[in-house]
Amino acid sequence: MSTSVAIEQQTSTNRSGLLSLIPGVILLAAIGYAGKFIEQSISRYGKSHHLSLPNIEYVLWAILIGLAISNTVRIPALFKAGIATYEFWLKVGIVLLGARFLLGDVIKLGGLSLTLVVIELAIAIALMTVLGRAFKLRPKLITLLAVGSSICGVSAIIAAKGAIDADDEDSSLAIAAILALGAISLFTFPFIGHLLRMSNHAYGLWSGLAVDNTAEAVAAGALYSDAAGKIAVLAKTARNAMIGFVVLGYAIYWASKGQAETVHNKALFLWQKFPKFILGFLLISLLATLGFFSKEQVGSLGNLSRWAFLLTFAGVGLRTNLREMRQQGLRPFIVGAVGEIVIAIVTLGLVLGADKVFHLS
Amino acid sequence: MSGRKLKLSLDGCAVGLALLLALLVRLNIFPKIPW
Repeated sequence: MSTSVAIEQQTSTNRSGLLSLIPGVILLAAIGYAGKFIEQSISRYGKSHHLSLPNIEYVLWAILIGLAISNTVRIPALFKAGIATYEFWLKVGIVLLGARFLLGDVIKLGGLSLTLVVIELAIAIALMTVLGRAFKLRPKLITLLAVGSSICGVSAIIAAKGAIDADDEDSSLAIAAILALGAISLFTFPFIGHLLRMSNHAYGLWSGLAVDNTAEAVAAGALYSDAAGKIAVLAKTARNAMIGFVVLGYAIYWASKGQAETVHNKALFLWQKFPKFILGFLLISLLATLGFFSKEQVGSLGNLSRWAFLLTFAGVGLRTNLREMRQQGLRPFIVGAVGEIVIAIVTLGLVLGADKVFHLS
Repeated sequence: MSGRKLKLSLDGCAVGLALLLALLVRLNIFPKIPW
């Protein structure tokens, strides 16, 4: 689904009211709950029959059910507006997850993540630019792929699209490439993590640094373990915080070439591009640190966050249409894929190096 | 431009809903949330 379509759907949603969201949200909840039900049923069956069955997380079931539906049947238009809310639930979940972090940990882990993010950003942008030129992609498509792969996937591409005045076709191609690669990483990252016997902490950091779209990064982390999912959220949030700086850099570059509007107020531009949900995450974390919530209440907020992610993971599956992705052309996908593989290897090296130095537990 | 406006309002609504839920949990209006 192209993002312009998603935005149009959301805008029309505002007009027709919240009621139109209900069918799609119910579908998200039903798929997510079915995933949870399957996980629990398999676990119960294994226990009652003394079998050691593989524990497949609800995250994977929810994504697979969503994928199966979106790629076999045409989802009626009635559901589409509600399905598009999966990103909203992702943000609600991230803000609520703040209660499970003490602010000191956020600063410590966030500081390490930010350092790694800056290195990852420089490598990703340079790599995508070189690859894009080698494959003779259009310059603005290269910019969008660089922004999407270095920061946070779809949101960053949308933010950059307006700032550099890119056309819809380039944005759709960049988004399709990033989403396709995100879907692939959902299955490859946990496999590699287990193969290398990575700690929850190191794996979570790697997912947050290397998987592009926030929903996929959180899902890739949660597929490994709950603890890894928590770290992936923090690392990805640190990466998202850089969105304004990178988009501003590109906006200034394209404005200097006369192909985008000049940015007059840079501070305002940075504020406008800053993902505000990060402030909510920090606020809840601060409240938890100050003892505003009891231990039991922190547990409840953590569970609420999981329920919100449940809807997100169902949306990730429903949103991934393999047929549409195949139609988007091969060259942007190859550039994205080669770039992503190199970024994944480099960030894996960074994380394993940081693990040795800082002994991430 | 519409994308930016939408993003801001989405973020604002998400933070607003999360804070409201946190407040309801803090005031014990929501019972213990199970998983």
